[in-house]
Amino acid sequence: MMSMTVDDALDLVLQAMQSVLPLEADHPSARDSDTPLVGEGRLMDSMHLIDLCLQLEDRARELGFEFDWTSDAAMSRSHSIFASAGKLAAEFARQHRAGSAGQS
Amino acid sequence: MTVVVTGASRGIGHLLCRRLVAQGIPVVGLARRIEDLDFPARSCDVADADAVRLVAHQLRDERLPVRGLVNAAGIASMNLALTTPARTAASLVATNLLGTIYCCQQFAPLMIRRRAGAIVNFSSVAAALGLAGESVYAASKAGVETFSLAFAREVAAFGLRVNCVAPGPVDTGLLRGLTTAQIDAVVGRQVLPQRCTPEQVCELVELLLLDRRAATLSGQVLIPGGV
Repeated sequence: MMSMTVDDALDLVLQAMQSVLPLEADHPSARDSDTPLVGEGRLMDSMHLIDLCLQLEDRARELGFEFDWTSDAAMSRSHSIFASAGKLAAEFARQHRAGSAGQS
Repeated sequence: MTVVVTGASRGIGHLLCRRLVAQGIPVVGLARRIEDLDFPARSCDVADADAVRLVAHQLRDERLPVRGLVNAAGIASMNLALTTPARTAASLVATNLLGTIYCCQQFAPLMIRRRAGAIVNFSSVAAALGLAGESVYAASKAGVETFSLAFAREVAAFGLRVNCVAPGPVDTGLLRGLTTAQIDAVVGRQVLPQRCTPEQVCELVELLLLDRRAATLSGQVLIPGGV
């Protein structure tokens, strides 16, 4: 399994967000890792959020690991991986590394 | 469409699996012991979140078109709260409530991807009646009801319906340990004071799962016989 940086993961997350909730390319949130996914200022409703998770789950399978958005580790590291696109990307990259370690 | 049924080795879950198969509807039964089952089944303890997740991932990877989930797995322990061992209380909540939650969490995404599906969870008339001697069991089932109502709202936008069936005493292994007088006393409190048969419960579940005339039903707790 290829290594993945947080920036790589952020690209995947932003692509998935774009797929779930198309934004204009010049929209200030289109490339913003601080974009909140839940809470005040969020772009997405809960339906978009679930669709985003399913898209990332599918992407993870293509990459050879399972993305678990309900794991204890996912929630305890940063309280919520859905606080921002960046935090979600960091967790995606972490689980990718953990999946890679598990396979080696 | 494929229907996932928990508690498939006995009671309502087992009967429902057999009825669905007889109607030509593919099922995947979940049970801890599946050796003697004559329909497709996977070994799974619903109280084990990781085991439930594993089965859900298997079905996802096999691309089974899951359109229904029936959470029929349940255990009972008729006892006063004051004399119920902590381990028994934990076990009741783990299987009846957490098992239902885990299965909804893991199998609903399979239906969300297809933007259609129906979930039927199992409560008990014990929750509505607050039956003495069944307090922990009743509490676990009341949790199932409230979870179902809220979960129905959470997944409605994805085309999923979630309902709850809360039967009175049905002739299954769960009644073990109850006397006829105790059972009659509960049945006597129903609007229709007759014991519901396992077949009648299955017919209600099948209506909620399969019948387009139930397409507007979600977030409901249905009590056969009424209270």
